[in-house]
Amino acid sequence: MNEFLYGVGVQWKIDLRNRGVFITYYIVPLLFFGFMGGIFSSINPMAKNTLIQSMTIFGITMGSFLGTPAPLVELYRSDIIKAYKVGGIPLWMAAVNNYISATIHLFITSTIMLIIAPIAFKAKIPENIGLYFLSLALFIVVSVSIGTTLGLLIKNTSRLTMFSQLLFLPSLMLSGIMFSTDLLPTFLENSGKIFPATWGFKLMSSSIFDFSYFWPLIIMLCISTALWIFLLSKVGKE
Amino acid sequence: MNVGVSVKNLVKKYGDNLVVRNISFSAIQGEIFGLLGANGAGKTTTLECIEGLRNYNSGEIKVNGKIGVQLQSSSLPSHITVQEAFLLFCKWNKVDENHQLLDSFGLSEIKNNQYKALSTGQKRRLHLALALINNADILFLDEPTAGLDVEGRVFLHKEIRKLKEAGKTIIIASHDMAEIENLCDNIAILKGGKIVFNGTPTELTSSYLSKSKIQIKSKIQIEKQDFVFSTYVGVQKEFFTVITDSISDALLELLQYAKENNNEIIDIKIERASLEQRFIEIATEGN
Repeated sequence: MNEFLYGVGVQWKIDLRNRGVFITYYIVPLLFFGFMGGIFSSINPMAKNTLIQSMTIFGITMGSFLGTPAPLVELYRSDIIKAYKVGGIPLWMAAVNNYISATIHLFITSTIMLIIAPIAFKAKIPENIGLYFLSLALFIVVSVSIGTTLGLLIKNTSRLTMFSQLLFLPSLMLSGIMFSTDLLPTFLENSGKIFPATWGFKLMSSSIFDFSYFWPLIIMLCISTALWIFLLSKVGKE
Repeated sequence: MNVGVSVKNLVKKYGDNLVVRNISFSAIQGEIFGLLGANGAGKTTTLECIEGLRNYNSGEIKVNGKIGVQLQSSSLPSHITVQEAFLLFCKWNKVDENHQLLDSFGLSEIKNNQYKALSTGQKRRLHLALALINNADILFLDEPTAGLDVEGRVFLHKEIRKLKEAGKTIIIASHDMAEIENLCDNIAILKGGKIVFNGTPTELTSSYLSKSKIQIKSKIQIEKQDFVFSTYVGVQKEFFTVITDSISDALLELLQYAKENNNEIIDIKIERASLEQRFIEIATEGN
């Protein structure tokens, strides 16, 4: 247990030192939050009601789809994995540490937004804060799980960037965080339902627990977790 | 003598490509054993089979003791520090943090440096230290000094000798002849996945095809001629030069000739064929 926790700690520090990961976990989400938060709340005062949720969804989606997979490609598609294997370090360690580290980083970013938004933009604090944090935690683990799957599935960084953007951009445009999904054609509105951002936004914006927003995220979590565990076992055999 | 590593009839294929062809060798405990061969001869594959990194098709491998491995191409996350990597490996191997190991490899002063900022030599030293964390009995070093400068090579050679003195069995794969000649007690030469020589470096240099060179400087220049045990090749910087298969016979014959002719010998040089020459002969034989 001691070695596992030490590994998580090391990965957490590595993520802070890794400029690419740090930018996607902290810099861009918080800059976007600072810039767009001001614009959204001044253009449409109603946006203040869901400003925390929409900016948080943006930050988590960006961090988990663009940031989380990058260290995994570096680890599992290089000689690092051989060095770990001969050094007695289990192959699952890197992926699990990265998963936990990403979850903590994204939770910190989300908490910063939750604290600053009401002060800076007079954003509305979620009514049911307990439910908000529960929804936040679920959304983070689902998104990081998908990011982990991407990192283990894709073998080089240029391809990874392409696939990550293919998930990231529609997540922003079709989930309702930038504008209401009612404005979208039905086809695009329905397409948006395959992204966790859509359900995460609904769940985090709700003041009562709505199971219909909850179960799609659980299904996504189960599928992505099964996938990355399978991919990890395949990497071990290679 | 106890055997540290024993390989019997090892066969490894990649698809239809037979890379290791029924090879057998053994390394005695406490010796440095060298695996030599040109690129693609099968050295790394053989080592990786012994280390358990690759499955093999048939044969038998016995390793008596804990192993430590320094790979030919090895890496760590770019942003991990030397100390973090060291502690991570210590913790997963459930051993106390032996900071002496960092000191002895000159890593203490760079313990807070990130992996990406290390020089090739520092990375090699770190990987060697990581290979020693579990107090391994048998060390596998694949091209340990590749890409190092002279200072780095000398340092690593010194460390490898110290490890041998400490009773470790060391298996080195290399195509650096000077390194092998300097360090190894026994060697095996791989060619096309087969072992074409197995013995000591001296046995290799004193056998096989190459001839040794004898050079004699005398008061009166010896006339150009062949002898029974040697063949004249020329006069090089005032030295009468012959080549021979048998140094002792040729030398005796040349000294007798000088004595019979009342010629005074001023200087004698004997040059055995180097390991490198022998290796080139073996590598090119049959091509």
